[in-house]
Amino acid sequence: MEKLYVNEIAPDGTVSTLGLFYSQPEAERAADKLRANPERTAYRYEIVEAVRHVLAEKQSTRSFAKE
Amino acid sequence: MRGITPRREQGMADPVLAEMVHATGATESRHYAAVKPVIQAYRRRWVELAPFRDGLVNAKRAPVDDPAAITAQIKAKATELGANLVGVCRLQPQMIDLGAELSHEFVIACCVAEDYEKVMQGPDAVEEEAMRTYAKCTEIATALAAHIRDLGYPAIAHHNGASEVQAIPIFYQVGFGELGRHGSLINEKYGASFRPGFVTTDLPMVEDQPRAFGVQDFCMNCNVCQRNCPGDAIPQDYVMTHGIKRWLIDLEKCYPYSRLRDEYCHLCVDVCPYNVKSNPETYRSFMKERRKVGYKTPKTY
Repeated sequence: MEKLYVNEIAPDGTVSTLGLFYSQPEAERAADKLRANPERTAYRYEIVEAVRHVLAEKQSTRSFAKE
Repeated sequence: MRGITPRREQGMADPVLAEMVHATGATESRHYAAVKPVIQAYRRRWVELAPFRDGLVNAKRAPVDDPAAITAQIKAKATELGANLVGVCRLQPQMIDLGAELSHEFVIACCVAEDYEKVMQGPDAVEEEAMRTYAKCTEIATALAAHIRDLGYPAIAHHNGASEVQAIPIFYQVGFGELGRHGSLINEKYGASFRPGFVTTDLPMVEDQPRAFGVQDFCMNCNVCQRNCPGDAIPQDYVMTHGIKRWLIDLEKCYPYSRLRDEYCHLCVDVCPYNVKSNPETYRSFMKERRKVGYKTPKTY
């Protein structure tokens, strides 16, 4: 089975892994609900492959991409 | 307030379980199909009580001049109803299911401890004890919510029969303990052998605070749950969720032992060394049995 994390990226770049998902559609459904939340417009959401050390402590921030 | 924490569907509504069950040619999880009458009775209890989780609020609201006093009274009430631990915190988005919406300001967490001695009687006894405590938590949350509504404040019970809240973030925030490698919250007295019930409400109360006593550091090196897991479902690596280390259990590896066979699997919690404080003799006896099978659970388990 595929294994995917849905991550929430806070405005300060802090990454929180919200869950482990087992298919792309399952992860996308969760990410779409999160993106549709008017209370979380300052946050970004990403779907990434669940691999070792993706979110080890020292790598637990992301910078926001310039749009 | 809208929730942000995904909740996995239960039973065959979980697509991972459904795919694995169907791959065996079956239509139902072996574990759920083999459920015993006593377990069915406990499950019926939380289904029966689900319609009573919410209700009419007393129009004559009792004024709260001292939130600390009412908090103490609510905790005493929950304890009288049978809770072993009671805590209060402000409701936050990560405590609510993704897609659910709750307007209440506070959440009250109750837990009922399991009788750890059951581990010596095998998986059926452990499962029965788990279901007994879930049913007890349902009764406590239902009665506590009704009590708060009688005081004139909205209150909804959340339990196995119906819930929109997530146990771990709430348990952490009210100071019950820290999240362990096995994915359950660890309390210094009860280990991870307890079950939850909750009430969300607007009754003004005083919050408890998170409390760390070294669990997450301990879990970095202990690995007893990981070594005893029959499916190798507990990972070495952790992710960060709202500043807390979280080891995400791989359900594809867990389900063959916890859902696709008749017996219950609760080994990750049962072998946790935090059980030793309240149950030193039983824990040592149980681990002696574990060592006889090489400490690692055989694949035939």
